Amino acid sequence: MSFYLRRVAFYLVTFWAAISLNFLLPRLLPGDPAAIMLGKLRRANAGRPLSEETVQAITAILGAERGTSLWDQYLAYWGRLLQGDLGVSSTRYPAPVADLISAALPWTIILVGTATVISFVLGIVVGAWVGWRRGTWLDHLVPVTTVFQSIPYFWLALVLVAVFSVQLGIFPIVGGYDVFEFPGGPEWSWAFVGSAIWHAILPATTIVLSSIGGWLLGMRNMMVSTMSEDFIVTAEAKGLTPRRIRTKYASRNASIPSLAGFGIALGFVVAGSIVMEQVFSYPGIGKLMIQAVQGLDYALMQGVFLVITLTVLAANFIMDLIYGFIDPRVRHNG
Amino acid sequence: MIRTTRRLALALAAGASVLALGLSGCSPSGGTSGDDPILRVWAGSATPINNNFNPFAVDTAVHATFGAIYEPLFFFNQLSADPPTGMIGDSYEFSDDGKTLTVKIKPDLKWNDGEALTAEDVAFTFGYGSNVSEQFVSAEATDDTTVVLTYTEPQFTSASLTLGSTWIIPKHVWEKIDDFMAETNPEPVGSGPYKLKNFTEAAYTVEANELFRDGAPAVSQVQYLGLDSNQSAQDLLTTGKIDWVGQFIANPDAVTGSGKIATLNLQQDPTTITTCANAELGCTGPQTDPAVRQAIDVAINRSTIREKAFAGLAAESSPSFMLLPRDEQWLSDPALTTSPQDPDVAKAQQILEAAGYSKQSDGFYGKDGASFEIDLFSPDGWTDYNDAAKLISEQAAEAGIRINARTVSDAEYWTPIQSGDFQMTLYGLTQSLVADPYSNYHEYFAGTSTVKVGETPLVGQNYSRYSNPTVDAAVLAAGATEDVPTKQAAYATIQAEIARDLPYIPVVLNASQSFFNTAKFSGWPSENDLYAAPLPYLSVANAVVLTHLKPAE
Amino acid sequence: MADRQTLTEPDSGGELPGAGAETAPDLPFGAPLGAEAARESARAATATAAVAAASAAAVRRGGRFRGLLPRRSGKLVTGIVIVAAITLFGLLGPLVAQPPRDSNNPALLPPGPEHWLGTTKLGYDVFSQLAYGTQGSLFIGLVAGLVALVLGVLFGVFAGYFGGIADEVLTLITNIVLVIPGLPVVMVIAAYVQNADGLGPLARSSLLVALVLGITSWAGSAVVLRAQARSLRTREYVAAARVAGERPARIIFVEILPNLVPLLAAQFIFGVILAVLGEAGLSYLGLGPTGSITLGTMLNDAQTGQAVGTGAWWWFVPPGAIIAALGAGLSLINFAIDEVVNPKLRLAPENAKRQRKATKAGKGVADSGAFA
Repeated sequence: MSFYLRRVAFYLVTFWAAISLNFLLPRLLPGDPAAIMLGKLRRANAGRPLSEETVQAITAILGAERGTSLWDQYLAYWGRLLQGDLGVSSTRYPAPVADLISAALPWTIILVGTATVISFVLGIVVGAWVGWRRGTWLDHLVPVTTVFQSIPYFWLALVLVAVFSVQLGIFPIVGGYDVFEFPGGPEWSWAFVGSAIWHAILPATTIVLSSIGGWLLGMRNMMVSTMSEDFIVTAEAKGLTPRRIRTKYASRNASIPSLAGFGIALGFVVAGSIVMEQVFSYPGIGKLMIQAVQGLDYALMQGVFLVITLTVLAANFIMDLIYGFIDPRVRHNG
Repeated sequence: MIRTTRRLALALAAGASVLALGLSGCSPSGGTSGDDPILRVWAGSATPINNNFNPFAVDTAVHATFGAIYEPLFFFNQLSADPPTGMIGDSYEFSDDGKTLTVKIKPDLKWNDGEALTAEDVAFTFGYGSNVSEQFVSAEATDDTTVVLTYTEPQFTSASLTLGSTWIIPKHVWEKIDDFMAETNPEPVGSGPYKLKNFTEAAYTVEANELFRDGAPAVSQVQYLGLDSNQSAQDLLTTGKIDWVGQFIANPDAVTGSGKIATLNLQQDPTTITTCANAELGCTGPQTDPAVRQAIDVAINRSTIREKAFAGLAAESSPSFMLLPRDEQWLSDPALTTSPQDPDVAKAQQILEAAGYSKQSDGFYGKDGASFEIDLFSPDGWTDYNDAAKLISEQAAEAGIRINARTVSDAEYWTPIQSGDFQMTLYGLTQSLVADPYSNYHEYFAGTSTVKVGETPLVGQNYSRYSNPTVDAAVLAAGATEDVPTKQAAYATIQAEIARDLPYIPVVLNASQSFFNTAKFSGWPSENDLYAAPLPYLSVANAVVLTHLKPAE
Repeated sequence: MADRQTLTEPDSGGELPGAGAETAPDLPFGAPLGAEAARESARAATATAAVAAASAAAVRRGGRFRGLLPRRSGKLVTGIVIVAAITLFGLLGPLVAQPPRDSNNPALLPPGPEHWLGTTKLGYDVFSQLAYGTQGSLFIGLVAGLVALVLGVLFGVFAGYFGGIADEVLTLITNIVLVIPGLPVVMVIAAYVQNADGLGPLARSSLLVALVLGITSWAGSAVVLRAQARSLRTREYVAAARVAGERPARIIFVEILPNLVPLLAAQFIFGVILAVLGEAGLSYLGLGPTGSITLGTMLNDAQTGQAVGTGAWWWFVPPGAIIAALGAGLSLINFAIDEVVNPKLRLAPENAKRQRKATKAGKGVADSGAFA
């Protein structure tokens, strides 16, 4: 049981560190969000003087924490967090950050989640096959996927859009669904789900192409190593069918480390998808993050960062539990 | 997408107006049969779109709020010198001292919820929220169609603000709203030609308002999209998915080549090198010396900047800070029509040397053995500005002036400009909405519109900290009169001073491109009939265009 | 990307066992899954131990690193050729090209004899920009890779070698950094440091971006290095050095680090790839070193200058292609290094090939035998 306790303790500490980092980083950023918003308002007002009332209202909301100590701010921050209050966005004033995030999160989780699972499964299966057929032309597949991995996400995405959406007109150019067909927004119908899937194909392809190389290589290498283990030799000597050896013995053992790496890799996929969402105008959380950083929207930046971190932590935790379940060693030696 | 934010700001700033010449001319063919084509617009919103229809949230509310749903009293077409056209308002009149403004509104108007729109609503609007200015005394409805506004100071010069960009709101809705800044107004009740049909974060749709005073507009539905890049919008336009955009496209021919999309390019707002010019108010750096600013003015190659940084779409700007030929009657000296377009290195060096600078060992000008350098910043992603800054730096270096161009984040752009903590920046001024440069001079050049470095001006946007008693006196004189010769004399004084001192070094008149689908819809503005600027983000003007459109046969 | 390094090392799943090293090597054949897996985990450690032993011998023989050099293989040669070509281009290109910010050319010229790769919207020569950009990106990659490596050694090798409380603390920090998603942190940090006051010319410089990328990308290396250091520490010659009273610093730098050279090289190369890609991503988001010319800022310029929309492929294809080629070249070198670290990766395919050939040849012999 101490394994699980250790893991829980680790994640609690990490959770605390992430939240504290989340608190500190935006506060180290320069610029005054209230001043920025006032400046934009003044410009937008075509020179009409801002009423004292307006100035006070905005300073009260966006600059309220000036003057209090960092420690007090930190405590207040925890207090608000525990109540589920993520604050009010300044770039999308007066929208609550929580609302913005909850609208965007499902898109990202479904897209990034599905693409990552596809990439993982595909990588494992192909990797196992390449490893099994080691020493043949299939070995060359590995360097090829690495080339894809080395292409910047957004560049790949731009090229895919230019070719498949604009030139060939096969796929949609932007968005998470067809806003022309469904002006009323998301609805529960097959047509809508179809539209959403259709819109997800290019973004998902970008993620899969860019991340499959890692899984494939890892699996292939593990497979090659496993294949020269004694127990495989024994299995061969016993006269088991190659198919049985491949699936029951080699692949099964070789895939364990990949499983362990899944949670961690997720963080990298999330990072890549931030950039990808920008290219496709995909209504996910990565785009919120970019807008927040560029507009110096403290509250939104913190909220998005928190949610991304928590999601990745949760995924890691689940993978740890699964790993501990299928690989008992870690429970004893960890 | 940062670009579009800027455009949005500019546009809203540009605010009100266009004439509604043809308003009555457009046929009130109401019906919303299912076959009617939907007009699809990208006005510059990024996704997710803010669900905000609060007309007081000028920076965050969606575009349809300003014109399509809420209306001002009059429409001022900033493209022409014609008098404003009535929207809700019918006529207006100033008292002789300019402190009382009497407005007549049209009879039998209705809000889109069926309630009557009366002078009572108008009076309520002027006494509500941020519409109340320091000079405001009272707003009274003397009968159902007459409103009398009273102020402590003459209001001649604020007509375009008061009448052209104050959004009239229904009293029966807003009297229950206390916090007008935090309100998002998701179910807007307005008087404009359209009312909200549905809203999502990816797009929202407005439909024809059957109760609109001129009858429902011919285009029964307009869908506004959220997009995150100009490239996406261009792709959608080219493939016929959207019908109307106002955005920068470097090679318009690629879009208009098919014959279905037409384009119009209007140039109005001056892009300047804004300098922190006034050492007395705390500005520091070589640019506080007028000689340095004059040298830069003649050293830069505006032709190249227009061609390369602005893709040949921008126009020549004038050191008089007027929109020509619209404001021609106020131009004091033909020499001030445009800034020099080609560089004159010799003249730049002559100016510097006359002011006591000399070339230092590193080839750059300076004093006392050290060459000077000036910082010039522009915001990330505003490509034309970034490119212009690079070119300015390169061109100034040829004349021996060291300017270091750098880019900063959007956030880091606004704060120093307002507080005066900068040397030079590329900054766009907003052109006066009416054919009178008064607001330009008052906003950007008057000493009353600035404060010392470290503080933010509350009135006006004189970020250069320029302060010149001669200019101030002339601005005051021009603001207190409607007499043309008196004004001309005052403007002549101002123009001579600012063209010499150059607190803002004009670079170009920035271009506003618009593209619209003429195959699906007719009635768009054209070079010959500029009844309104066809910019979907420009408040009021966008709605005036919408009411002129018809599905093409 | 990072999964690559985490995957080749079974010990990398956070606190998952470096235990393999201590596990007894001979478990019964056909053991249940768990035991097989345990054995599996021991593999990498064994392999490294073999290398370590071999190299230790090599060191003693005087040919200090010979045993560690990757064997010449097609992958290695291809990788080195690609990387060398790009490096030479980055070093020598700027010497022959015109100044990269000379706008005195017509705008948006397609490739031609005057401008081999055409010109940009401002009339900059793309070939020249590419040469300077390659140099800039390589600089960022090298600096960031180096910073990440040093931090990785600090957190990984020290943790692995010292064990105990130091290990617990360093590993905890490593794991926290590892699971917190990188790019958001980099974005926030980059936004901060680049706008901070008083940085002077450092603000928005490629050096700063390199440092930011370096200090946010070391955790993966640290995990891998820790596992190896833990296993090396139990080697006899290290134990001997300890008993002989050598200072820990000397043991680490003289006895342990040299044996980690292939791994360090692999981690460094990986860091370089990650940094070059990271810089491109940051630049795309407008957080890159806007004052310098790098492949990322070139791509960003092309993107904001609507290169795609105007069909100016010569502006946005070359920088992307160089990044991809550089990444691929470095990865190929890494493959070769992997095969040194884990000889099975090389030997097994070779054996398999030989076996297949033999089977084929055997058939031939059998056939002809039947004839005889």
